[in-house]
Amino acid sequence: MSKIALAVAAAFAATLGMQGGALAQEKTIKLAGFGVKSGVLRLFGLNSEAALKAAVEEVNKAGGVKLGDGSKAKFELADYLDDRCNAEEGISVVRRIAGSDALIAIGPTCSNVAEPLYGILQKKVDDKGDTGLQFPILTDVAIKGGLAKISEWSFRNVPSEFTMYSSLFYWLKTKHPNLTTVYGGVEEDFAHSRASWYAVMKDRSAANGYKVLGESKWLLNDTNFSTQVREMKKANADIVAIAAHPFTTCGVLKEMQRQGVKPKLLVGLTSTSSMETLAGCAKHAQGLIIPTSFAPVTKESKHAAEATAKKKGAADLHSMAAWENVFILKEAIERAKISGNKDAASLQTDRRKLRDALAATKTTKGLLGISKRTEDREADKPYVFVHAKGNDWVVLHNPL
Amino acid sequence: MDFYFGLIQIIGVHTLLGLSAYVILLTGQLSIAQAAFYAIGAYVSAMLTVLWGWHIVPALFAGAAMGAFFATLVGFPALRVRGLMLVIATLAFGEGVRLFFFNFDYQIQKGNVKVGPLGPEGFRQIRYFPENGWTTFDVMLFVWVFVILVMALIWWVDRSRYGAVLRAVGDDELAAQSVGINLTAVKVSAMTVGGGIAGLAGCLYAHYTTHIEHLGFGVLQSVFAVAYPIIGGMASVFGTLFAVIFVQGILVEGLRFLGDWRNLLFGALIIVAMVVRPTGFLDALMLKRFARWFALGRERA
Amino acid sequence: MLDFVQALIDGILYGTTYALIGIGFTLVFGVMHKINMAYASASIGAAYVALVVGGLVAGASAWLVFGLSFLLGGLFGLLVYLICFHLIPLGNENATLMSTIGMLLLVDELIAHATQGMPQNYPSTAFGEEMVRMGELSVRGDLIFVFAVSVVAMGALLALLYRTRMGLATRAVAQQPVAAQLCGIQVVKVNALTFVITGLLGGIAGALVCSAVGTLSILITGPLTVKGLIVTVIGGLGSVPGAIVAGLLVGGLENVVLYLRGVTERDLYVMLLMFAFLVFRPNGIFARGAGRD
Repeated sequence: MSKIALAVAAAFAATLGMQGGALAQEKTIKLAGFGVKSGVLRLFGLNSEAALKAAVEEVNKAGGVKLGDGSKAKFELADYLDDRCNAEEGISVVRRIAGSDALIAIGPTCSNVAEPLYGILQKKVDDKGDTGLQFPILTDVAIKGGLAKISEWSFRNVPSEFTMYSSLFYWLKTKHPNLTTVYGGVEEDFAHSRASWYAVMKDRSAANGYKVLGESKWLLNDTNFSTQVREMKKANADIVAIAAHPFTTCGVLKEMQRQGVKPKLLVGLTSTSSMETLAGCAKHAQGLIIPTSFAPVTKESKHAAEATAKKKGAADLHSMAAWENVFILKEAIERAKISGNKDAASLQTDRRKLRDALAATKTTKGLLGISKRTEDREADKPYVFVHAKGNDWVVLHNPL
Repeated sequence: MDFYFGLIQIIGVHTLLGLSAYVILLTGQLSIAQAAFYAIGAYVSAMLTVLWGWHIVPALFAGAAMGAFFATLVGFPALRVRGLMLVIATLAFGEGVRLFFFNFDYQIQKGNVKVGPLGPEGFRQIRYFPENGWTTFDVMLFVWVFVILVMALIWWVDRSRYGAVLRAVGDDELAAQSVGINLTAVKVSAMTVGGGIAGLAGCLYAHYTTHIEHLGFGVLQSVFAVAYPIIGGMASVFGTLFAVIFVQGILVEGLRFLGDWRNLLFGALIIVAMVVRPTGFLDALMLKRFARWFALGRERA
Repeated sequence: MLDFVQALIDGILYGTTYALIGIGFTLVFGVMHKINMAYASASIGAAYVALVVGGLVAGASAWLVFGLSFLLGGLFGLLVYLICFHLIPLGNENATLMSTIGMLLLVDELIAHATQGMPQNYPSTAFGEEMVRMGELSVRGDLIFVFAVSVVAMGALLALLYRTRMGLATRAVAQQPVAAQLCGIQVVKVNALTFVITGLLGGIAGALVCSAVGTLSILITGPLTVKGLIVTVIGGLGSVPGAIVAGLLVGGLENVVLYLRGVTERDLYVMLLMFAFLVFRPNGIFARGAGRD
């Protein structure tokens, strides 16, 4: 009896040994995504996760990434972690990822998580006295201006609102030369939307020859816009530019209809060019013009949108940045000649090599064309102008 | 390991926040203004270390002192209201403080950047710890030195006459007054101590997060501050600690393997915790059982 | 001057939504001396489920959705009572505070999962698109409707409380629970019924608030809960007419401060004024009459 047991055990051990041998030859490179999957921003996390899964699957189907020693490794995507748009949790999540064998993290969704997160990273790469975390992050969604320069380990693949709105107002001026005045609406208590009005829309419209008559202000979860829309009505501007997220944008648009405020043109905030706005107030948002770094106008962008839809995610400028990130990383990893070994020393060396490769990247292949990378680790992405038509965002002007 | 040190830091700071509400709750006052003192401690100490180069320890005490000072200012008007009305009054004060920081701009030029709080954009680059070579482990120890000090202080107070006086006021104000206890002194002093502890916690929060803004000091944060002692039980400081470990350790981090379900379970498990143990994990009865268990253990040994 | 009056009117009208939510909060407090923090959340939840069901059945016409929300509100009210209040001893206020906060988080997250966080377009009645003009001033039609509903609800509740046996039992439990039990009144039944009634009202309130805002989103629940609590306290704990007056007052004050000082300082002044109000008149506008200990 015991002899048979021994024989079985030996055979089992032998097969285990063989499996172990086989596994030892196939390396994987782990990527980790994180962002918001609870509350009002849940959609962002779901879409980014789907885009990451679709992109990783595509890279692996084409053979994977080439490592420093010439072998090929597959991308492995860790579970997408939810940081609930909370700074402490975001930091905790990234520390958890850094403690695993992941090479880099893709995220976060919220700018108010990105800022503290970049703050705990090591500021300058070879500063021995700085005990900040040495782990690279490539952001897909958090869009508040000027964050990546906080640390040499933080990189972003988000569009430059400054460039896009500059171009938009220039184009509007040439296409509608009879329109001369602009009035704004701004969400004051959210850093992103606030900066987008004052530092971007207001500045750029004035720079293109528009007269800015003023702005109406409200807060992120306000629901009563009667006074603000009355101010808007009195200003009677040709163009109304709303720097707010879908919830308050819909509220303001509905109030505008109630009070009979009908500007000649409506301009919106980048992140508002998503399904949320159409789900909330498609009828009132008709004609809202928004510059965006994603629309399914090229072969690659259509393909990415389809692949993401198969993973149950929607394609918009945010989730498609996550898709692009996977390919940016593939290219950077191959240039950096990563070892792919999972011991602590190799892992840290690989992370550093990847960071250096990302820092040295001058251009990346985006879904709408070539994106340029800037000195302070931001992106300069190609864009189109879309407007809400029917139940969709349709391309209004394609400057590509 | 960094992750675990970070988590223990978070548990430590949240325990301090919970203890700040605990001390006030002992006197029967439910204060939803703790996030306000937390914010004051955070901004004051961060400005001291970033704008004027102070060392962290005096900045910390300054933050705690400011928290205590403003708590005293709230403590006096709070005497006029009780129950739900006190809850609303403290909520109003808390929101008022948050809105103050929403509007607060104070920047100084340092080298080629401007540093300091910038209204809705918050206060970034509070990098005292990384710039001075503190590792995650060092920060964790630093946080827990204060947690243990505060817990020990409250534990000791609980065993002293002052603790009995606090609880007496919490149990029955009329009876306490009739044995000659000065309600004003007790309630206001409890508020002050609570404000000081919250200010201390705020300083630590600001420095290990490196970026603070008004949105992080809202009603939800105050609600959590008061949730910890209620869920943990009012019999002992360890109750608050267990509640923090339950919420931050188990509900937030431990349940991550459940993926999407974690968010739903968060609210659901809080309901379950309250229905199953309405007087908190560590209420008077449980504490007696623990004490007896320890005593028995010692006897056997 | 005209602008000021317009801002005041706009604010008072919007305050009708606060009044409607405040009635439910104050009634629960009046009867059970406990706060149901999940009230606004459950109301919005009822409005959401009504929207979904209404959409499936008959293309989400406004009246159908409001009616469904009314009924579902009652059901959800009962559920909140059974889950968060029934099993917790009556004397323990803090535990129900926490359990209802847990319920608020749960309901919000359930709605977030179901809607993927996206705001949902909410149907409005014909009143919603209309602006009634009175000379130079204009007034929102749908908010006048909300005000009418609050008044009708108040009338119905007062009739219920003062003209029916159940109302008598409710008032008895509110004033002296132990003595009421000694008279054979089943406290559990009374409490459950209170929740059903406030739930019915909450369902209507949730639907009307979402209709007034135009979209349904969980961004509404937090501020609505805070406003509901403020209105409850300013109006006087347990006073239904107080809740209505306080709702209009808070709405009006809010908008006037917005007009005079701008949105960044609006809430600051409202909070400070409220804090001062509580200090100088802690029992609210319509303080509970004598007979309470």
